Amino acid sequence: MATPLNDTPLITQLRQGDKQALFGLYDKYSGALYGVIIRICKREDMAKDVLQESFLKIWRKIDQYDASKGKFYTWAYRIAKNTALNAVRNPDPLIQTDDLSVYDDRRTEVPKDYTELNGMLKQLEPHHQRAIELVYFEGFTHREAHKEMKVPLGTFKSYVRQALLKLREQYPEELMLLLLYVELIGHG
Amino acid sequence: MDRKKILQDGLLEEYLLGELAVEQETAVSRVLQSDAELMAQFRAMEADFERMAFENAITPPSEVRKSLEAAMLQDEVGSSKVRSLDVPQRKNSALLMRLMVAASLAAIFALSSFWLYTKWQDSEKNLQVLQQQTTGLQNRLADIEKNYRETNSRYQSINNPNVVPLLLVGNAKSPDSRAIAYVNHQTKEVVVNAKGLAPLDADHTYQMWADVEGEMISMGLVSSNQEYVALAYIDKAESLNITIEPAGGNDHPTVERLISNVSL
Repeated sequence: MATPLNDTPLITQLRQGDKQALFGLYDKYSGALYGVIIRICKREDMAKDVLQESFLKIWRKIDQYDASKGKFYTWAYRIAKNTALNAVRNPDPLIQTDDLSVYDDRRTEVPKDYTELNGMLKQLEPHHQRAIELVYFEGFTHREAHKEMKVPLGTFKSYVRQALLKLREQYPEELMLLLLYVELIGHG
Repeated sequence: MDRKKILQDGLLEEYLLGELAVEQETAVSRVLQSDAELMAQFRAMEADFERMAFENAITPPSEVRKSLEAAMLQDEVGSSKVRSLDVPQRKNSALLMRLMVAASLAAIFALSSFWLYTKWQDSEKNLQVLQQQTTGLQNRLADIEKNYRETNSRYQSINNPNVVPLLLVGNAKSPDSRAIAYVNHQTKEVVVNAKGLAPLDADHTYQMWADVEGEMISMGLVSSNQEYVALAYIDKAESLNITIEPAGGNDHPTVERLISNVSL
């Protein structure tokens, strides 16, 4: 899937109340956000609700988004992660049908399809991969995640930093190809 | 806070993930706005992060998009006048439903509590009645046992082969009087049934005497309303005599008022 480079027109339209702009952003980002949400929720019906709720929040709070502070995805990710964590901590009893105890522990086993990481992450060393997985995809804070990995906080932070550096080494080549492709499309 | 601290403490990663407290977040944001190099690093990190997310994307079920459209429509209807309404309609109805469920449960609980309280009160009353009845029955049983022992004792005292029953018939002074004395020479006991004696006024009483070699020895007072009166057994008595004496008895018999006697 290609990474969208410029969301400014869609965001401008969204601010003007254009619903289609939200669906434009949904079509681009729902997969990336759903990948995070389902790894946190570990259950499809809850994850679907959380995804919908997250986009409703984006729709209502788009005025609070400041492009100068970060990318749209970063902002949307924070919304989705917080919504998912809230849903896991306070599952809706009217929607809930299964054993509640499943959600007491975020480390519960989930279907393999949801947890398996793809892309460049797979080329990282297992401890780097796990560090990224915990904080980026499972909604753990750094302070929770270092306990989960049973390493000191400083060590954990260095795992994350090293993992990101290794990813950086992998990405530029592909990124250049992508930029070239976008340039070509842009110039028709 | 400066770039060095932010990088050393790994605050940029936590800032990106929205993990920082408000104060720290504001501080990092301020440094980022004024430090182009740090901002460039942050932008690169964001790009990597987004890239990673897209590599690990999972296509959501198509019905989510449809239900999002429906929810937005509802949201628009619900907030057509006030756009900034924070609570979505769906949540309101869910909240209302939860409140209704909670209210129903509370009502059921209150009713069942009241019912249980009433039942408990009824049981308490029944228990008290039962306790009173049991106490009454126990008292009656005790009375019956006491009566039985007394009756048995009297029966034994008169229906013994060693007991000699003696009928004392009233003379001309009290022709309707009758008394029966039961004398047991073995156990040296005397019991008198005085029911048959004519009633006396409050100032007088019957008194029984034993005649021993011409001397009258008092055996005790006899009330006419008593069925069985135990009296003193006097050795070598030749006859039993009943006289009418002043209330409280007399030391010597008033012979003029002798109403009955019997020889042994």
